[in-house]
Amino acid sequence: MSLLELSGVHTYYGDSHILEGVDLAVEEGEVVALAGRNGVGKTTTLRTILQLTPPREGSITFRDESLVGLETHEVAARGLGWIPEDRRIFGQLTVEENLRAAIPDPDDVSDGLRLAFDSFPILEERRGQDAGTLSGGQQQMLAIARGLVGDNDLLLVDEPSEGLAPQIVADVAEALSTASEDVTMLLVEQNLPLALDLADRFYIIDKGRVVDDGDTAAVTADDERFRRYLSA
Amino acid sequence: MILEALAEFLTLSELGGVIVNGLAKSALYVMIASGLTLIFGLMGVLNFAHGSLTMVGAYLGGLLMVVTVTSGTAPLTRLGLFFVAIVVVFALLTVLGGAIETTIIRPLYDRPPIYQILLTFGLTLVIEELVRIVLGIYDLQPLSDWQAALATKPQFLREPVSLGPVSAGWMSLFQILLGTITVVGIWAFLTKTRYGLYIRAGSEDTEMASALGIDVRQVFTVVFALGIGLAGAAGTLLMWDPTWGASVPLAAETLLPAFIVVIVGGLGTFRGTVVAALVVGMADAVTTWWFQNAIQFTGLPELVLFLVLVVTLIVRPQGLFGVEEVGGH
Repeated sequence: MSLLELSGVHTYYGDSHILEGVDLAVEEGEVVALAGRNGVGKTTTLRTILQLTPPREGSITFRDESLVGLETHEVAARGLGWIPEDRRIFGQLTVEENLRAAIPDPDDVSDGLRLAFDSFPILEERRGQDAGTLSGGQQQMLAIARGLVGDNDLLLVDEPSEGLAPQIVADVAEALSTASEDVTMLLVEQNLPLALDLADRFYIIDKGRVVDDGDTAAVTADDERFRRYLSA
Repeated sequence: MILEALAEFLTLSELGGVIVNGLAKSALYVMIASGLTLIFGLMGVLNFAHGSLTMVGAYLGGLLMVVTVTSGTAPLTRLGLFFVAIVVVFALLTVLGGAIETTIIRPLYDRPPIYQILLTFGLTLVIEELVRIVLGIYDLQPLSDWQAALATKPQFLREPVSLGPVSAGWMSLFQILLGTITVVGIWAFLTKTRYGLYIRAGSEDTEMASALGIDVRQVFTVVFALGIGLAGAAGTLLMWDPTWGASVPLAAETLLPAFIVVIVGGLGTFRGTVVAALVVGMADAVTTWWFQNAIQFTGLPELVLFLVLVVTLIVRPQGLFGVEEVGGH
């Protein structure tokens, strides 16, 4: 039994057919990268899993329980966390309040905050600051920390390195690598070396379908399989 | 003449009186508008029925007072019964608000805002007609203030009190006290409780809040219910104020200033609503003094509300503390 399994998933935005029968599986404890060009359905796959954009066809199971038809908060309550590509931090809440909002059990707040501040010490310095006033890199750290502090079994991570300076990318990669020891991840990442470094397996998605998959140990970023589907 | 009036205005007794009067008006405005701003801030719903529910709160509060107070009831007992009435009306209207949200507002969330506006406007007409029918059964005049309810106010709240050189009404101080309790209570709820955190998170980004496990629909229901409860509590306070009173026109009389305060403060921001209520209340009190004491014309003070609104919309269209978008569900 896979931790997460998608089978024949079709998702639409209005009349636009975005996912045209996606099949993929994520096993407990692994990091799986979802690669592909812009606009092929990677983010929609994550949104579909979370039921933010529910599928019209197909099945999505988490620990053998169907997620289709659940409300998003019910999906989250089953242990799925989301680190979205555009950060989506609550700009008018403080750094600490952003983190508190992500910790479901009030008894876990101090442990959760400790985990976040150990992962990104700058957040502890800014804990009372409105999150909207943080720099872009700090906002990304907060978005990742918010995903880490939730009581999650599976993290859906969308473009965590997008638009960040190289040093911050390194910090983000280290935090995700450390987190991956405790939590399973489905990672969407355009930075292929980073994705392959973090992930155990990969799927390549193109035009709303999974077109290739394999172990990351057997490939490099300039592999023909990636060049075929990822080059512009 | 203007210079003489200015000199008189700047005396401690006059200026102090204007400030107390302005704070009392601000307290009423913040109580009228806070429910409206909570509902719009989180849900993006412009609740045109807010004034009608304030009016219902005034009548319910009045009913509780008329039933429990007799001519022999002591002043402090009357005051205690009033606080009980406010709590009971708040609770009743909160339940009513929750029922309205779950049955008729919720199905319209995915529709354009005009649906919610038309629905809540229609709700206003229904509520007002129902109130008229009930008043007719008990032979009460709907257009004039309910005098029996006004008469339950203890005598000392009708009298002035000296604060050093400043003379103010006990009623003004009472309104300031209740306004302050309301502001502190809402602020503490929003900033010191877990549910308040969820409300603020949900008001910024409902989708992200849902993905964190927050049941935003339930938060919507609670906020709408509390907003209506606050409208009812405000109505109960207005029932004792002779310039407002419990009457059917109270619905329209409160809805307009409530919208003005909410718009001036910035749609959906509670902090903005508090500051806007202070600005509008003070401007109202100052111009009222000038029109009554220097210009001898009492028709214009109400216009100051619209003047503040127009100036704000020209200088800062999003309001004093407004953000570009609210209620993004």
